[in-house]
Amino acid sequence: MKAEYANPFIRAASEVFAHETHLKMTRKSLELRKSPMPSRPICIILGITGPIRGQVVYSLDEGFAYEVAKMMLPGKLPAEIKKLTNSAISEIANMITGKASIDLAGEDHTIELTPPAVFTGERFHMDFLSIPTISLSLISEAGSIEINIALTEAQG
Amino acid sequence: MKTAMIIDDAAVMRLRLRDILEPRYEIIAEAEDGVQALSLYNQCRPDFVTLDITMPKIDGIAVLQGILLNNPQAKVVIVSAVGQKQTVFKALSLGAKDFVVKPFDPERVRTAVDRLFAKTLT
Repeated sequence: MKAEYANPFIRAASEVFAHETHLKMTRKSLELRKSPMPSRPICIILGITGPIRGQVVYSLDEGFAYEVAKMMLPGKLPAEIKKLTNSAISEIANMITGKASIDLAGEDHTIELTPPAVFTGERFHMDFLSIPTISLSLISEAGSIEINIALTEAQG
Repeated sequence: MKTAMIIDDAAVMRLRLRDILEPRYEIIAEAEDGVQALSLYNQCRPDFVTLDITMPKIDGIAVLQGILLNNPQAKVVIVSAVGQKQTVFKALSLGAKDFVVKPFDPERVRTAVDRLFAKTLT
């Protein structure tokens, strides 16, 4: 796991949140973990393939997810915001990963992303592979998000 | 009024694109994956399409190829978070008219679409 994989995600997350929600995200912590297992109740998983491959797992709590959706959907009624919360946060994850992939791919390569998959609730169990992971925590005045980056360079 | 189809797997993005385009264009169809997109495109034949790239079942690049195979004059604007240089180059060289990278400003989308129908000066 290269530590430099973290910077494209920090930059991308700051820009995407600033653009979509006007929230200023700051880095609270950066640590190494043994797997991308999320630690918050809502998680969004994206796969990456190409010269760099692996998973990026975003996680956050319900309150922050709703606030993000509300800011992305100005003028919409609470029921509609609630219905679109998962879509909103998965799109945030998609935009952050897409933006970070521009830096990761460089000039000559292409990195493919899978569509985001959202999982919610405390009662589901998921096993993640043991992949060295950079775990970032970004915080704002409305809440925080964890970004677990489990990427490796493809062999061969 | 020109007609449009919005292709994006995220409901929030389809809603937002609809809000941006609707005063000026009529949205006649929405699709949330590549298979649905190709089937609806052939049924509706909209004047233009906004097309995401990262989608379930068939990705946007394959959808772009499918649409252009069916209608070489199709007007397609890509609206995607995957703004990598090689991806942008591939989409434009296949025949997409413009590539808007998410997150976007509403004006950027309007300009891209308005340009599709602008009369060219010769």
